[in-house]
Amino acid sequence: MAAAVKPSARKGPPRILRRAGRALGVPLLSVLIAFVAGAIIVAVTGGNPLQAYQALICGGFGLFCFGGEPSVLQLSNTLVFVTPLIMAGIAVALPFRAGMFNIGAEGQLIMGAILATTVGIHWSGLPAVLLVPLVLLSGALGGALWGGIVGVLKATTGAHEVVTTIMLNFIAQWFLRFLIIGGPLQLPGGSSKSSPIGGNAQLPTLLPHDNTIIFGLPGAVYRAHTGIFVALIAAGVFAFLLWRTSLGYEIRAVGQSQRAARYAGISVRQTLIVTMLIAGAFAGLAGAVQIAGVDHNLTDQYFSDTTGFDAIAVALLGLNSAVGIVLSAILFGALHAGGSVMQSDAGVSGNLVYVLQALILFSIAANFLRTVKLRLPSVGRVPLTPEADAAAAAVAQETDTALAGDDKDIA
Amino acid sequence: MTEQSLAIEMRRITKKFPGVVANDQVDLEVRKGEIHALVGENGAGKSTLMNILYGLIKPDTGQIVIDGKPVVMQGPRDAIRHGIGMVHQHFMLIPVFTVGENVVLGREPGTAGDLYDHARAREAITALTKRYGLSLDPDARVGDLPVGLQQRVEIVKVLYRGANILILDEPTGVLTPQEAMELFGVLRDLVSTGKTIIFISHKLKEVLEISDRITVMRRGKVVGHLKTSDTSEAEIARLMVGRDVLLRVDKKPAQPGPVALRVENLTAVSDRGISALHGISFELHQGEILGIAGVEGNGQSELVEVLAGTRRPTGGRVLLGDREVGQLGAAAIRSAGVSHIPEDRRGAGLVLNYSVADNLILGRQRTPLFSWDGIILRLKAILDWARRLIKEFDIRTPSSTTPARTLSGGNQQKIIVAREMASQPRVLLAAQPTRGVDIGAIEFIHRRLVAQRDEGAAVLLVSAELDEIRSLSDRIAVMYEGRIVSIEKADTPEERLGLLMTGGGAGERLKAG
Repeated sequence: MAAAVKPSARKGPPRILRRAGRALGVPLLSVLIAFVAGAIIVAVTGGNPLQAYQALICGGFGLFCFGGEPSVLQLSNTLVFVTPLIMAGIAVALPFRAGMFNIGAEGQLIMGAILATTVGIHWSGLPAVLLVPLVLLSGALGGALWGGIVGVLKATTGAHEVVTTIMLNFIAQWFLRFLIIGGPLQLPGGSSKSSPIGGNAQLPTLLPHDNTIIFGLPGAVYRAHTGIFVALIAAGVFAFLLWRTSLGYEIRAVGQSQRAARYAGISVRQTLIVTMLIAGAFAGLAGAVQIAGVDHNLTDQYFSDTTGFDAIAVALLGLNSAVGIVLSAILFGALHAGGSVMQSDAGVSGNLVYVLQALILFSIAANFLRTVKLRLPSVGRVPLTPEADAAAAAVAQETDTALAGDDKDIA
Repeated sequence: MTEQSLAIEMRRITKKFPGVVANDQVDLEVRKGEIHALVGENGAGKSTLMNILYGLIKPDTGQIVIDGKPVVMQGPRDAIRHGIGMVHQHFMLIPVFTVGENVVLGREPGTAGDLYDHARAREAITALTKRYGLSLDPDARVGDLPVGLQQRVEIVKVLYRGANILILDEPTGVLTPQEAMELFGVLRDLVSTGKTIIFISHKLKEVLEISDRITVMRRGKVVGHLKTSDTSEAEIARLMVGRDVLLRVDKKPAQPGPVALRVENLTAVSDRGISALHGISFELHQGEILGIAGVEGNGQSELVEVLAGTRRPTGGRVLLGDREVGQLGAAAIRSAGVSHIPEDRRGAGLVLNYSVADNLILGRQRTPLFSWDGIILRLKAILDWARRLIKEFDIRTPSSTTPARTLSGGNQQKIIVAREMASQPRVLLAAQPTRGVDIGAIEFIHRRLVAQRDEGAAVLLVSAELDEIRSLSDRIAVMYEGRIVSIEKADTPEERLGLLMTGGGAGERLKAG
């Protein structure tokens, strides 16, 4: 606000650019810090950071590739990672907006994948026009149920969502194990996976999925699928829900101030439940898209899948906004896709990607923790020394004064 | 006047915060043994100046002279060393500790084995309280004491640390009129023993009553050095605000209509599960302002919350017209025509990070005016509404999309007032509508409350400020310990109200402490 009054600011770039700059500042800085730290780690462990990052960028975006596989393949691989990350990221971001920390996107995703697979196998005779939406919807339903449990528990017993979501993640994973190892969904023949869903239940790939040679390789190697459109639509729906609907207004109000929400006649409990239902639906949709788009069956890979956890990084880096989530999902998707290329081309362990991801999260956490702290109810503070009191009072005072000062600019 | 007679001299103090000059070439001279009032609206720079004096903030430029010697404050430790003590507005006491333990905290007298020496602590405190005529029981638990005595503990704490100059930040904000009178007695006694007092306040009546001289600040600058005996409330107000201020509320006699709200034998419990309302009954007519006077914490908050639907009553009835609304939720009560200006402006009345426009529809986000079928927000209608209300209620904001957090308290309150009044309510519940708001906004809100009344609304006004209650109300109900002890006429003298507010003879409690 003060900036708008300063003459120097007026000469700068247009307002929308400045706003974008402010919004991007923290995330970009976090990414930069992470990459610098990552480079140091690579150098210290005897690698060449430049070569590592070149391979990473090549593997992620198909840029700066010196020989090797075609760029389009790298982009296609990245898209495969990006697609579920967007939807799972929304599943984390939406509860954040309501003041909840959904660590359960993974469990919700798995339940979505299970229900989508079941439907995809069971009704494989239906035409694709019906079956694909049905598979996606049932995935969303599975996730919504799983998320809904969290919301109901939170609203009725006050059980903390961090605890319940973690527990439900385990339950979902072990339920999946039960289903595909000796359980009803196991493919006969002893392997720990389910039967594939019917062809009509599958989302088409972006490029023809046959032996036509495209960019020097058979079309079948390009796995990128139309699920990316589902993900982008989901991001659009998320933004619309949040900013253009009464429900979104209420969700944000509950997240900002439950007291104000109650004053406004908003049922906080109901809003928390609805939020978790919707969030779960997005995660479940991610699972369904993953099944219908690339995997086509449940496998033991889902035991070690981390999409739902990477989604936390996606949501945080994306500042819980739709555009931010899409952008950060692209970043993390590219990192994951690029990791294997980095390992093969630069000889740097692909695990560096996880280090980078953790470093990005870490540097955001500093900022993130502050916002969380502001939201927590303040615990009765015991004054230890007059100095400590005074210092705290000074900080509070300075903030107040600065704010009051801002008002003067207006008046 | 010689240099010798000055306890404190602050010369050309300037302090800039990002985007604002909080103190601009401020001069302050406080004489030894006087009560010096520092007045100004919120954000005028009083607190910054005092924090500079107390070493909490370093000035950009300027000089502080104490007892004729220039000093540099590196922190509160230095200030305390120079004999400056601060009594904060919000007490910094540990409720479960005794008076003695609180006073010596941080400077506990120890025994040889470095154990806390109870006897010596008690001795020291008794000596102090005797010398300054402050009655306090060193063994009483602070949590059990009334607010007025807790404040006295703060004062003794400061004296214990050897303060000669006491800064009191809005000391009467939490006190009853009686407690305030007792505080003034204490302050006069302190001054008579040679202490110097800086009294920060925006209550002009008090300032006129207690101070010897007054420094008025506005927008970071000193706009007047006054001698209390030569000035008036109107002059100080004009200096503070920068224009003439109407201190009295202009209103015509009320034209009460039929009963709008009838409350019968209402009971409710507080957040802590303790019974807060013990059978409240009253009638509120259209076209009248019924004031609820009382010391805070006597059930006023709970009463308003029950009436607004944010707290469930445990018994009794609330009739809006002839409709029972006691068990309805906040949304239903609001749509039945009850508006609510909540006492917790920043916590409940606003979503601080929401824009002004979004705050102007809080609680109405599903009404047909602002949404299609309660599902999709009508953004254009919301913006039009915001523009209209910003203009009509003179909300000073750069734009309707500015976050409410960045506005001043007065403008934040105007958002709430605008929202709650613009829907033309049948009943308006106004809880502490001008708390912490500057004089200009107070004047505005008072005029609006009376205008609502004249348009036929039934207004329930809850305020801790007796002056406000007396100048606005057509009838005054006094609450004490969850009951309405009396309903009085508007011109009831302050003394009588004060007595009723403390339960008649309950004022004795203070002296007994």
